Amino acid sequence: MDKYECQACGYIYDPALGDPEHGVKPGTKFEDLPDDWTCPQCGVGKDFFQKVS
Amino acid sequence: MTRIGIVGNGLAGVIAAKTLREAGFEGEIEIFAQEKYRYYPRPNLIEHIAGRLPAERLFAFPEGWYAERRIQVRLAAPARRIVLDPLAVELSSGRKVGFDRLLLADGASCFVPPMAGADKKGVFSLRTWDDALSILDYLREHRRVVVLGGGLLGLEIARALAARGAQVGVVEFFDRLLPRQLDAQGAAVLRTQIERSGIAVRLGTATKEILGSDRITGLKFKDGSAIDADLVVVAAGIRPSLDLAKAAGLDVERGVVVDDRLRTSHTAIFAAGDNVQHRGRIYGIIPAAFVQAQAAALNILDHDKEYKGTVPSNTLKVAGLHLTSVGMAVPEGKGFEEIRKEDPDRGLYKKIVLEEGRLVGAIWMGTKEGALPVSNAVSQKSDVGPWIKEILEDGFDFSRLR
Repeated sequence: MDKYECQACGYIYDPALGDPEHGVKPGTKFEDLPDDWTCPQCGVGKDFFQKVS
Repeated sequence: MTRIGIVGNGLAGVIAAKTLREAGFEGEIEIFAQEKYRYYPRPNLIEHIAGRLPAERLFAFPEGWYAERRIQVRLAAPARRIVLDPLAVELSSGRKVGFDRLLLADGASCFVPPMAGADKKGVFSLRTWDDALSILDYLREHRRVVVLGGGLLGLEIARALAARGAQVGVVEFFDRLLPRQLDAQGAAVLRTQIERSGIAVRLGTATKEILGSDRITGLKFKDGSAIDADLVVVAAGIRPSLDLAKAAGLDVERGVVVDDRLRTSHTAIFAAGDNVQHRGRIYGIIPAAFVQAQAAALNILDHDKEYKGTVPSNTLKVAGLHLTSVGMAVPEGKGFEEIRKEDPDRGLYKKIVLEEGRLVGAIWMGTKEGALPVSNAVSQKSDVGPWIKEILEDGFDFSRLR
């Protein structure tokens, strides 16, 4: 599963870890994150994230 | 075009530089940074003050990030003046560096309301990493803190300092917290939560004077009352940086005026970020700075990217509570029906605003559940039908409104 990087602050969303503090279980793909999920580090929306190649 | 200069090393400056390279620009990119640090996201200052982020994790990008992209960054090299014809940045040394195009991304500064004694020791704003370090250093022996300003930032600063063990009070000029997002009842629920966490809240209070000889010992308010304080953080909003643009004769109102291509009144100078006024609006939020920076970079390269403005998110987190405020959240005038449900113990406050049975506004605080659907329902002015009461209950199925 691909990791995604927040372009505003560098936070890396790692699907293997999820984002449990905000109700996202480990193993959740970035594409499956809810529309209103925001970067835990700086608050911007999903559209500011880029796939890490 | 071979040389592009960027004044400002914040989010807008950095994203603009990154976008220029991604768009294929091969020439020189030079960023002039006021501070001596490479780029860091401003929200990290709060995280660090609260003790949630160690100093080593302040920066967003690794140390080699600029060099990897052949972006030259001059730290602690603020622009003193923009020179026109030929276009150049003049530094404090008097040295001029010439460019074909320039991006003004020098952001904003903290507004300090006029009051006597604001220059005493122990009075701070929070905008930079050095500010954060100064506050934490002073806090070690000065524990009674007052935050002037009960907006988003003021509340987050208050909570961060309380997390460090300080005794904190918030003083707000307006008669309620978050006046743009919350009505009086919602603001009261928020106030309860904040006070429960040990932070005092004082509303409808304007500060007249900072007391003390060389360092602050207290505050005096316009109503004549006074309190003791050892440390004050002023969180009364930000003002776009206008000096460079003004001195260069660019169009300036509340911000540096730009068109839909982020171009200023000078054809070779663009602007992006907290300093910008676009279609009469100034923002001061990360998403606006980000998108403006991308568009500005593309337009600098003549790739023609239209920017129509940013719709601010109607969702945020305040004092650990999820808050969504949409549409006519605080209606004025007649013809509106408001229905509420609250549980102050949980920091829960839900309200819908109806006009002729249609949803025209909502405040949803203390829960994420249902926030997005109610937001969508307000955008569509959905008819609430017979669900007037049920809509505020947990787990309401919003597809019933179709």
